[in-house]
Amino acid sequence: MPLLKRGSGRILGVALLAVALTACAGTPNDDPDAAADVEINDPLEIPNRFIFAFNVGLDQLVLQPAAVTYRDLMPDELKVPIGNLIANLFMPLSFLHSMLQGDFERAEMAASRFVASAPTLFLGNPFPDRAPVYEDAGQTLGVWGAGTGPYIMLPVLGPSNVRDTTGTIVDFFIDPLGIVAGSQATIGRGVGSAVLSREGNLEQVRDLQRNSVDYYAAVRSLYGQRRVAEIKNGSLEATQAAPTIGLELDFEPAPKQSSAATTQ
Amino acid sequence: MALPRWTIAIAGPLVALIIAATPANADQHLTASSEFIQSLADRAINTLTADGQTPEMRRQEFRGLFREGFAINGIARFVLGRYWRGASEADRTEYMALFEDVIVNTWADRFSEYSGEKFEVQQAVNAPSAHKAENVAIVRSLFFSDPQTPVRIDWRVASRGDIYKITDVSVEGISMANTQRDEFSSVIRSNSGEISALLDILRKKRDG
Repeated sequence: MPLLKRGSGRILGVALLAVALTACAGTPNDDPDAAADVEINDPLEIPNRFIFAFNVGLDQLVLQPAAVTYRDLMPDELKVPIGNLIANLFMPLSFLHSMLQGDFERAEMAASRFVASAPTLFLGNPFPDRAPVYEDAGQTLGVWGAGTGPYIMLPVLGPSNVRDTTGTIVDFFIDPLGIVAGSQATIGRGVGSAVLSREGNLEQVRDLQRNSVDYYAAVRSLYGQRRVAEIKNGSLEATQAAPTIGLELDFEPAPKQSSAATTQ
Repeated sequence: MALPRWTIAIAGPLVALIIAATPANADQHLTASSEFIQSLADRAINTLTADGQTPEMRRQEFRGLFREGFAINGIARFVLGRYWRGASEADRTEYMALFEDVIVNTWADRFSEYSGEKFEVQQAVNAPSAHKAENVAIVRSLFFSDPQTPVRIDWRVASRGDIYKITDVSVEGISMANTQRDEFSSVIRSNSGEISALLDILRKKRDG
């Protein structure tokens, strides 16, 4: 079944892939240390870093305070329905894209989540029995085999790449919510989900800012890996990272390292 | 009543055949990898989240578990990528020590914020191994920071004989080794390929 659903987009995918790969093809390399190097596709790094700095500032001034305010002032009883309402408003788009990806199982999940919540939509579906699924045009293009293209840091909207920026634009026009309720509805949903996901990530973002050696590079890496995982919908094959790490350096018990005891 | 001799004659080889044919050996490392992760996690939760510990004690305990459970040298080298080759012997030694220290400090401090979260090993699957002598398993687990939305953590466990070591950890599909590698190579690249800038930052992180 998984083969079938991935296979349906394959023919179109091959055509797109051929175009996309020419941009990011790497040369084979015999160096084992470089073999796993994924060439970072970020030719716009300098302007991207500049926009990133702007986004970080904007986050500190607007989004983070909004998220903290929401966390501290919104009664807990209302947080669940608000979260569910926003999740439900993504389901029509997820349904559409699951269909386009040939993934009928997830289409059914999105549809039943939305339909089950319909009677209580504006109460936000107080008792969801289906987990929401999130699919967008960037993921659909990925399933069809499109490469990511260069990394792009979008002002306000944050990390993206050529494929996902294309997806964002496409979604603006084909989102059923926007067609039915107008673009104010999609913008409102976008702002709401930004505040909510920022609220969910307050600690993680602080941790990442404090512990990363290069915050920009960390965000770029996380974004790329997260999108791959989202396209593969969490299947185990998605996580076969770092296969070149073997035990040849660690087969013997590790020697005591000198600075160990002196660490503060 | 004694069994007729022919039953023994048949049953003996039959039993031997059944034992030999049991596929236990093929996927034994999967079970063992799951148990390895569960026991390491149990010990980490028990020792690191116990009350009344100083940060130093926690770091020391974490260092012991980290050395025992992780292929530190392999990970450290992977994370440095192509820059390992160009590094001097002195830089390599310092880098290895710093890499371990910084991870120990970061993670031991993170553990201080955990208390009573549930950790649950789910299943293990075979993964391709780059080395003939090694088996690789991906052990999937869930970490419940709250009961509604567990975090999916996948452990990549390489094994050789009785030795089991973690070579990577993925959180919601995001590989720690890949992330660290992307960060480190970004720092080194923006310093015209010199590893010294990275060592500077790591020194500050260790001491900071």
